[in-house]
Amino acid sequence: LTLNIAVLVKLEPDFSEGSVSYNPDGTLNRAETKSKLGAHSAIASLAAFYTKVKYGGYISVSSMGPPMAEIALQEAQLICDADELHLYSDRLFASADTLATAEVLQQGIKKMNTGKEMDIVFSGHRASDGETGQTGPQTAWKLGFTFLGNVIDFSMDLNNKVIRAKRLVALPGFYDIVEEIQAPLPVFIAIDPLYKPIFDTISLRLTSSRYLKEAKERAENYKTYLKVLDHKKLDLDPRFVGLPGSPTIVHKVEKIPKARTTRTAELIEGYDREGIKNTITKILQLVQK
Amino acid sequence: MIMITMNKIENNHRINNENYRHLFVIIESINNELIPASLEMLGEARRQMDHFNLKYKSNEKVIAIHLGHGIKDLSKDLISYGADAVIYADDPQLKYPINKIYTKIISQIVTDPLSLNEISPEYVSIFKKPRYMFFLADSIGRHLSSTVLAELDSGLASDINKLVISDLDIKHQHKTKGESIPYQKVLEMYRPDFSGFLWTTILCLDNKNPEIAKEFHPQACSIIPGAFQPCVKDTKRTGVISQFSPQFNEQDLKIKVLKQELVKNPVQFENYKIIVSFGRGIKEDPEANIKLVEKLAKILDAEIGISLPISKKIFHLSEKYDSIYITPNRVVGTSGRKVTPVIYIAIGISGATQHLDGMKDSDFIIAINPDENSPIKDVCDVFIKGRMEDVIPAIIEELSKRSGQLKEKEIQVNTYGKL
Repeated sequence: LTLNIAVLVKLEPDFSEGSVSYNPDGTLNRAETKSKLGAHSAIASLAAFYTKVKYGGYISVSSMGPPMAEIALQEAQLICDADELHLYSDRLFASADTLATAEVLQQGIKKMNTGKEMDIVFSGHRASDGETGQTGPQTAWKLGFTFLGNVIDFSMDLNNKVIRAKRLVALPGFYDIVEEIQAPLPVFIAIDPLYKPIFDTISLRLTSSRYLKEAKERAENYKTYLKVLDHKKLDLDPRFVGLPGSPTIVHKVEKIPKARTTRTAELIEGYDREGIKNTITKILQLVQK
Repeated sequence: MIMITMNKIENNHRINNENYRHLFVIIESINNELIPASLEMLGEARRQMDHFNLKYKSNEKVIAIHLGHGIKDLSKDLISYGADAVIYADDPQLKYPINKIYTKIISQIVTDPLSLNEISPEYVSIFKKPRYMFFLADSIGRHLSSTVLAELDSGLASDINKLVISDLDIKHQHKTKGESIPYQKVLEMYRPDFSGFLWTTILCLDNKNPEIAKEFHPQACSIIPGAFQPCVKDTKRTGVISQFSPQFNEQDLKIKVLKQELVKNPVQFENYKIIVSFGRGIKEDPEANIKLVEKLAKILDAEIGISLPISKKIFHLSEKYDSIYITPNRVVGTSGRKVTPVIYIAIGISGATQHLDGMKDSDFIIAINPDENSPIKDVCDVFIKGRMEDVIPAIIEELSKRSGQLKEKEIQVNTYGKL
């Protein structure tokens, strides 16, 4: 049995210092900011790579985006040794909300690996620019796959076609829950940023280095693995994708009003030793109260 | 295929505004304890619908939907906290919030007119879908909202911290084919963006453009925990409590939760009198500056927090520092955690509103920042104007002269077990 593995990735603004550019008002300067494979997409690719190394499989990576998003696919291929790359690119897809994006992705997944059904689909936890975390679960739902989010570790029982996953369910201000869940394949996994694969046996390490070498060669020639699909090739009705297919719109964008001035700060110059000493005295008084 | 989609569109078009009613709130609980943010959401729902009913002279309800096992008795609390009605499903199979099972049952409840039999009999004959839906933007609600709205085929906005219901004239290339068309009872959903400086208003609107005509209801969102206040508990409030008997799909019951362990967040801000947080101001030498912050925190016995942009791993750090400090559970702000220590020290943090909202209730606030015009200055008691590279060593030096007055404590490493 060979697992059919899909990975959904996204080209995102690179927020690292040196690549990112902010406008004077603190907002992102999109024109000046470079783009790269999103950090969460990279982790999803890594999870797919681990699955391929440990259980064997055929990996299809896909992305919806402009033509330049192929560099995200190349980066992902380098991480996971992808066997095929799909880019869903069409002007009609632009500015889609999560539901209309999920419509394209689910249709694309059905066309992967010559139309075979996927056993496991990986996506990132959320995109670092949109940050909704909705596209993954919505794609899963449209596919009819069981959705497992916040997965920090997983193992598979291939004979019974069952996955066991550990999930970190964070409930802010309440508890964190570590949950172990079992589900029949196919599943859709949104991988948690805390996920870290461990290649801890000799055989895993050997397989991993062999695939990594292959990945490097493939990524250098990524275009031979790349297929670009528009709405026609995906058999998508233009009314259900992009802006026409999006229930939501961005109505307006405004600056969040400055928080009300709640205190009047005492200003101390950094070189003012007396000021710093007084501040420390104040700290010690408050802590010991 | 085209014929089918045409029908889909026409049928959708026939549904009108009369067919959407009420605000449905998806309540979360763990081990039969209500998640506090559920009550915040319920409080906001109450305020919105009171306003709505007054404005539109109507009688639409706040309906709490609650799934679980052994949760029936919590229904009264939900009424006390503002719900007009509670629909609960209580079953051993619902003990854990398994996404697929919960999604199907919630979708059944909110599209079944008979759910309203006791709650609003006058609408049973026309009810098709909720008007509005609220979910929590936590690890459960974020996914549940996504899948429920995919099932209901409507729009969803995430991480909302302000809501307004209003009538708007909309002119949109696709929604209205460029014409100005009035929309009633629109839920304006305000969402702070990743920078924390911008508010985006998301609307979920029917397509009134005849070429793509389609209804999109409910208008739904997930709400940031901590964004709203709960109502004051009023045990005199009354409401309808009705039970829903779920039907399960055999295949879905093969999804099994084997174990759930409640773990405390490894970062326990609550246990510290002092919190020292750092932001993008570490940029000149990130790792060296984090070490400075770490040293200061050790001497002060403080926990370390970070600003939201830092959590996006914008700096190259050694794995050790990255894994200890650059984690979502250290983020202070409405996108992370709300803190109220005795002393909050903000280092190199300019003060996006979402950060300030998470720390401004601290007893005493000190900021260290070279830019006197940073918004953080408006919420702090002491503003030390200078580079952290200069100021922190000076503070450490002065503190060490009084070392007897403070005890040191090891900083804990943050790890979760592997499977």
